[in-house]
Amino acid sequence: MHLLIEAIGFGVASGAVLALGAVGFTLQFGISNVLNITYGSLMTLAAFLGAFLLGLGLNVWLVMALGGLLIGVASVALNRGLLSPLIRRGLQPFGLIIVTVSAGIVVQYMIVAVAGPSTVAYGNLSGATLHFLGWTLTTAQVVILVVALVLMVGLHILLTRTQLGRAMRATSSNRTLARSCGIATTRIGDIAWFLSGTFCGMAGIALAITVESFDFTLGSVVLIPIIAAAVLGGVGQPYGAMVGGLVVGIVSQVSAAYWSPSYENVVALAMLIVMLLVRPRGLFGANSSSRKLLA
Amino acid sequence: MPTSSDSGGRETPALAVQNLVAGYGDFAVVDGVSLEVPVGKVVAVAGPNGAGKSTLLKAMLGIARVMSGKVLLDGQDVTSAPLEKLARLGVGYVPQLDDVFDSLKVLENLEMGGYLCNRVERQRRIERVLQVFPQLQAKLHRYAETLSGGERKMTAIARVLMLDPKILVLDEPTASLTPELSRVVLEEQVRPLSAMGTSVLLVEQKAVAALAIADWAYLLVRGRVEVSAPAAEVLSDPNMREIFLGRAAAEVAARSVDAE
Repeated sequence: MHLLIEAIGFGVASGAVLALGAVGFTLQFGISNVLNITYGSLMTLAAFLGAFLLGLGLNVWLVMALGGLLIGVASVALNRGLLSPLIRRGLQPFGLIIVTVSAGIVVQYMIVAVAGPSTVAYGNLSGATLHFLGWTLTTAQVVILVVALVLMVGLHILLTRTQLGRAMRATSSNRTLARSCGIATTRIGDIAWFLSGTFCGMAGIALAITVESFDFTLGSVVLIPIIAAAVLGGVGQPYGAMVGGLVVGIVSQVSAAYWSPSYENVVALAMLIVMLLVRPRGLFGANSSSRKLLA
Repeated sequence: MPTSSDSGGRETPALAVQNLVAGYGDFAVVDGVSLEVPVGKVVAVAGPNGAGKSTLLKAMLGIARVMSGKVLLDGQDVTSAPLEKLARLGVGYVPQLDDVFDSLKVLENLEMGGYLCNRVERQRRIERVLQVFPQLQAKLHRYAETLSGGERKMTAIARVLMLDPKILVLDEPTASLTPELSRVVLEEQVRPLSAMGTSVLLVEQKAVAALAIADWAYLLVRGRVEVSAPAAEVLSDPNMREIFLGRAAAEVAARSVDAE
């Protein structure tokens, strides 16, 4: 029983990072309908940027915030510079996926070209070990958990309480109708890509803080459980992605504790397939066929 | 309602289309259409399926591709202007399908309709449209996807009124409604708008109902204007009626006009 409680604690901590990543992933998909596989490489880029900024002597949490903002800008640039022009020229969704896969590989090898293929470590930033509710977590894990929680509450307030957030949901629900109300949907798209990139960058740096070391494959490895979390929650559903992240995190850690750490992703993905067989739209997927950013 | 006049003293139409050729890719669905919507009038565009009615509206609204011709709003050239700019210029649009934000609550739909105004003005307009559609009051916190067909259309029209449009473009507003609800929407919701100074361009397959509330009528066939005449004249002239409505529908319409 003690092992189970401990594993759930680890699961919540790693799930918070997955949830951050999954929320960013699904937020952007909900607005732009582009399945952005470059997301994983942008997480890796964030982790390497974090290493560079830490090397300048900056505080780790400031680095996480800065990394998030920089990846937010990179994400807008990816959309404006590459994807939007291709969409305007009529490229279909499958073609777009291939483009984002390719762009991801290019970014990944640009990182290798600049930083080299060897592993990088932030050093020990874990802080003191904390015990509560039977969980044993590091200070860093708790801070990441709190940051993830604050960001998600912030996103909830943005989407439901502000005119900007409602305009984002309106754009996701029906872009032409949103335009007919005077909503500048291109600007709304930019904001969604920026927020998505910010979540992506912060998740990348949070991940780098919690692992001993990482290399240029960091993002591509974690992208699978992130997509799993997003799909589990219902694609385009930020709240679904939050819960999906936690579920994938907890299931992975519990299976790692009782079975083998090498199977943690396998169990999460098997669970995803079973879940989709039972409920194809995911936990929080809308009843109608339309993709939407429900709040 | 501000109006302006050209040098000849003739009032500038709220909306005018001149020799519009438009369609998708290289295929012209609308083939040289000209029409006018005078200020404060209801203009109906009727025509069989595939005549190009919806494409005409979409081309006017910058959604379908304009190959040649002009769209003038209060005399200003707005050909191919983006839809969001037209909204800022006072053009309200209710599409035939997907006319509400399904995943938003009714109140949020109204708030999006008033996206361009400030919070105080938005609240004032919400109160105003709820006086027009008191039935929506009880549904404000329902998601639009849970509404009935009639409630959806009411929400769609209430949303577009939040824009306080100078010109309202309605694409088959009664398509999914029962005959009784169609009459209510057209006579009780659309017609009074023109009395308040809003100009209305209405595309309808249910031509009798549309003509009954319209000032002027255009018949579109295969992308061209076949007939342009006062709506009352079309309804009272058996030949015109038959051209607009087809023989069977014309007979039904004749009976209803005679009964009045």
